[in-house]
Amino acid sequence: MDALANLGHGFGIALTPWNLFYAFIGAMIGTAIGVLPGLGTPTTIALLLPVTYKMEATSAVIMLAGIFYGAMYGGSTTSILMNIPGEAASIVTCLDGYKMARQGRAGPALGISAMGSFIAGTLSVVGMTVIAPTLASFALQFGPAEYASLVFLGLMMAVYLSEGSVVKGLTMAALGIVLGTVGIDPVFGAPRFTFGLNRLMDGLDFVVAAMGLFGIAEILTNLEAPEVREIYKTSLRGLLPNREDWRRSWAAVLRGSGLGFFVGVLPGGGAIISSFVAYAVEKRFSKHPEQFGQGAIEGVAAPESANNAASTSSFIPLLTLGIPGNASIAMIFVALMIHGIQPGPLLFQQHPNLFWGVIASMYIGNLMLLGLNLPLIGMWVRLLTVPYHYLAVVIVIICVIGAYSINNAAFDVGLMMAFGVIGYFLRKAKFPPAPLVLAMILGRILERSFMQSLQVSAADLSIFIEKPIAATLLLVTAFVMLTPAVRWLWNRRHAEAQPA
Amino acid sequence: MKRDDLLAGCLLALVGIGVVIGAFRLHTGTPLHPQPGLFPLFGGGALTILAVILLVQAALGRSTGSEAFGKLGPPAIMVVGMGVYVAVLEPVGYVPATMLISAVILRVLGVRSWRTLSLTSLFLSFGTYLLFARVLGIDLPAGIVGFLG
Repeated sequence: MDALANLGHGFGIALTPWNLFYAFIGAMIGTAIGVLPGLGTPTTIALLLPVTYKMEATSAVIMLAGIFYGAMYGGSTTSILMNIPGEAASIVTCLDGYKMARQGRAGPALGISAMGSFIAGTLSVVGMTVIAPTLASFALQFGPAEYASLVFLGLMMAVYLSEGSVVKGLTMAALGIVLGTVGIDPVFGAPRFTFGLNRLMDGLDFVVAAMGLFGIAEILTNLEAPEVREIYKTSLRGLLPNREDWRRSWAAVLRGSGLGFFVGVLPGGGAIISSFVAYAVEKRFSKHPEQFGQGAIEGVAAPESANNAASTSSFIPLLTLGIPGNASIAMIFVALMIHGIQPGPLLFQQHPNLFWGVIASMYIGNLMLLGLNLPLIGMWVRLLTVPYHYLAVVIVIICVIGAYSINNAAFDVGLMMAFGVIGYFLRKAKFPPAPLVLAMILGRILERSFMQSLQVSAADLSIFIEKPIAATLLLVTAFVMLTPAVRWLWNRRHAEAQPA
Repeated sequence: MKRDDLLAGCLLALVGIGVVIGAFRLHTGTPLHPQPGLFPLFGGGALTILAVILLVQAALGRSTGSEAFGKLGPPAIMVVGMGVYVAVLEPVGYVPATMLISAVILRVLGVRSWRTLSLTSLFLSFGTYLLFARVLGIDLPAGIVGFLG
């Protein structure tokens, strides 16, 4: 009942005219960047951070959150009509969505995608309303040892769940930790790796790094081989799925919602991985797996529901534990810090207006997104006809403004460019950039918590084993880290056992 | 290409070794009595070890390899253009500098018409200046267009 009363209070905050306006702006921008390939959510949130400086913290987070989950709605449009994912989380939607469009069923594909997203997003907020306060209360028992263990687990999960090679992911995390140590040491106050530059005393800014690694690197990659965009011209009438479409999709939407919610809560989990898992599970459950990849509506419903549920539930570790689980959430973490708010278990008690206001705004935002994505689909499709060269210039300009406005210094623009070049080569060499940005943030938290643990325990490392929660978290971390090695050994033994 | 993984492994190992040396210079202390260099030592050590694993994987042909490079001219022009942009942003101001970089990017992306180039660059630089600096109150270097207020 407490949760319901608090949620009612949250609606009181979210329904104020300004917060409704910011939720709407967030939903609009989110849908637009979801529709447009090339400008991801971490970059968009990063470059809009300066705009939020003068806003009230709750309004700022309402808008930024709207961008994040709004992008999941928009991403499917591009996947279905162009066979290019607008967002990485919509990659898998291309498989059946584009086939449906080619069969003249773009309308139902877009319709089930928007409705599935709405159902999943709403169910996920309901789950968040129930779970978040309980988890926050539990996390109040955490001391520095538990926190250090949790951050370490989050970092390892982020690596393990990132795309590509685990070794490359771990390397990026280590590089991120190293880059995170640049600047004044948080415990002893000594400058580290500043090379005598005063500008580096405050450390390397995560926002600058994110804009370079995601935004500028994307532009550099596209300059090398400009993508050819071709919208599949088809009728967009009949957006409402028919009875048969619903019969085939309702279970996929529910399974996608559940899976997405679970994967989103995991540190390192998120919309991208949840969409792949949901698609694989749906294909496994289907009586007609051969139809997947040929225009099966379940192949659109499940991943689109999952990525929406995950984008919402990935706020849970941020709001309750203070752990950002993916790059977009990391940018919202930075937004909270800019407003002097420390995300974590105390957020629930110290800033109930923000905590419940943001949760309530997600119910409203999902409704707005349903309205924005179905009746206005024609407008979003027209957005796709904007030539890429205009879009590229706009992305660079807003990245420059975002980087410059952090310290009003061209130095940060240069730093962003340097990260852009690094990001370009990392992409080419298939190193995932997300663990690097996350490790820059989590590394600093980890160092502080680790040092505090040593102070609390009078420099006794056994604190990490004696505290049951810390020990359990470290055990889970060890399991996560050892799983790839065990799987490799298992596969090798299995291969050797096979007759030649 | 595995050769690129070898190159990446070597570069990252060098960075890791550099960080380890830097950490020792900062004084690492011990885990029980830490000093400012301890945490960078962990990070640099982990980076070096992982880079060596990557090198071994690449040498054995078991790494994931890299994507082939396309035309390197356009991204190189943009990087040089951005270098010039950073240098001139504060002295000449946001609007002229942004006009210049916008024109460079548009040209690199295949816009041939000088009219489109100049009008788009002018519109985007002035438009974003008015929106972000005047409407949203973000400080941008006015430079030679300080007369705009």
